Amino acid sequence: MRLSGIKRYHFARDVDEALSLLAAYCGRAALLAGGVDLARSARGDLEGLIDITGMGLSYVRGEGGGLRIGATTTLTGILESKAAKEYLGGFLCEVLRRVAAPPLRNMATLGGAVASAHPWADIPTVLVTLGAEVRWSDEKGEHRASAEELWQRQFRKMFRNAVLTEIRLPAWEGAFAFEKLSRSACDIALLNCACGLGVEDGKIAWARVAVGATPRRGRRLTWLEDFLVGNQPGEGLWREVRDRVEAQVEVSSDRRASAAWRKAVVGPLVARTLKRAAEKMGDA
Amino acid sequence: MKIYFELNGEQQYVDIEPGESLLSLLRRLGMKSVKQGCNTGDCGACTVLVDGRAVRSCITFAAKVRGRRVTTLEGLGSVDDLHPLPEAFLEAGAVQCGFCTPGMILTAYELLSRNDDPTPEEVRAAISGNLCRCTGYAKIVRAILLAAEWKREGRWR
Repeated sequence: MRLSGIKRYHFARDVDEALSLLAAYCGRAALLAGGVDLARSARGDLEGLIDITGMGLSYVRGEGGGLRIGATTTLTGILESKAAKEYLGGFLCEVLRRVAAPPLRNMATLGGAVASAHPWADIPTVLVTLGAEVRWSDEKGEHRASAEELWQRQFRKMFRNAVLTEIRLPAWEGAFAFEKLSRSACDIALLNCACGLGVEDGKIAWARVAVGATPRRGRRLTWLEDFLVGNQPGEGLWREVRDRVEAQVEVSSDRRASAAWRKAVVGPLVARTLKRAAEKMGDA
Repeated sequence: MKIYFELNGEQQYVDIEPGESLLSLLRRLGMKSVKQGCNTGDCGACTVLVDGRAVRSCITFAAKVRGRRVTTLEGLGSVDDLHPLPEAFLEAGAVQCGFCTPGMILTAYELLSRNDDPTPEEVRAAISGNLCRCTGYAKIVRAILLAAEWKREGRWR
């Protein structure tokens, strides 16, 4: 725990109370659900903590083939929910089982992952691939935006005065796959990739591809998605994907991995992930 | 501020600092099995159970356990009356310096409370966030599998 100087700990009962408390502290309070990121932050300006876990925002609901997930739902809560297990053949659960170790998954929430959206994290890469929609409330009312759009804004500053309430995942007719490269099973990714494919009459009808931890936050490769549509899944296509990704995806160095290493592995990683998605559809 | 919570089966009503960690509170209350390692939630030495779920007490605010049930290794039995899980660690020789052991045992406890017949792979996944710098993990995995076997035989309480 690195925080010091906290004078009050509040238990907010609803969104309005949380917003009132945030306003009263004029930026010197933080919302807290799992607290995993907050407890490790070095914010010396904080005087108040506002616990939002008692506001009824912990739920996972299936809706028309999609999912609605309350912001304070823990990753374990999602993993154990029937609706998440059924969503996209268990794809979301497959991803979350590879995010952090179980005790951290018992604490960390999906809302926290969206509000922090660390560049190295796996969840942002998956959410942009799935076309997630994020909902939040502030003093002006309720808002929504796609995760991609949200993360292009100054979202961390925005969430100092807003309550993230829900993440919605749409229904898809197709298959998704996720791969990450990391030093150990529960470690932070050195590179991650999520892909989705829809195949009709043996050809790719739609594609979603995102790469993250490059070391930038996960973002879609729309040029690759356009290229894939109309092509037949197979080894020849995966080789072409590997070469194009290696040539076009921008990677750089950070303390975890060098740009040269990322450049060497990003092509095979994307090709492997696409192949796995195609295999799930029986069209490899 | 004051909070009430259940610690190892006993009700507690205690004063805490609003920004205090659960680790700090538990050690103040004499739960010395709860170790401070990294203090960033990465090493697993401070793991305790909150409502049966393993969490990192070093990055859990003490206020969060208000009205909840906390279990530390002390709550699993005593030296004279060992719970079968720590007993399995002794039997398998899975303890050297002992610093990681309480967190390892409580993480394993959560696993075995939900799955009493885990595969070695499932055990390794469960303890993947608990670091041991002495024994390596082979004997720890063996101990947890042994404890699971004892649980299936009805030796747990």
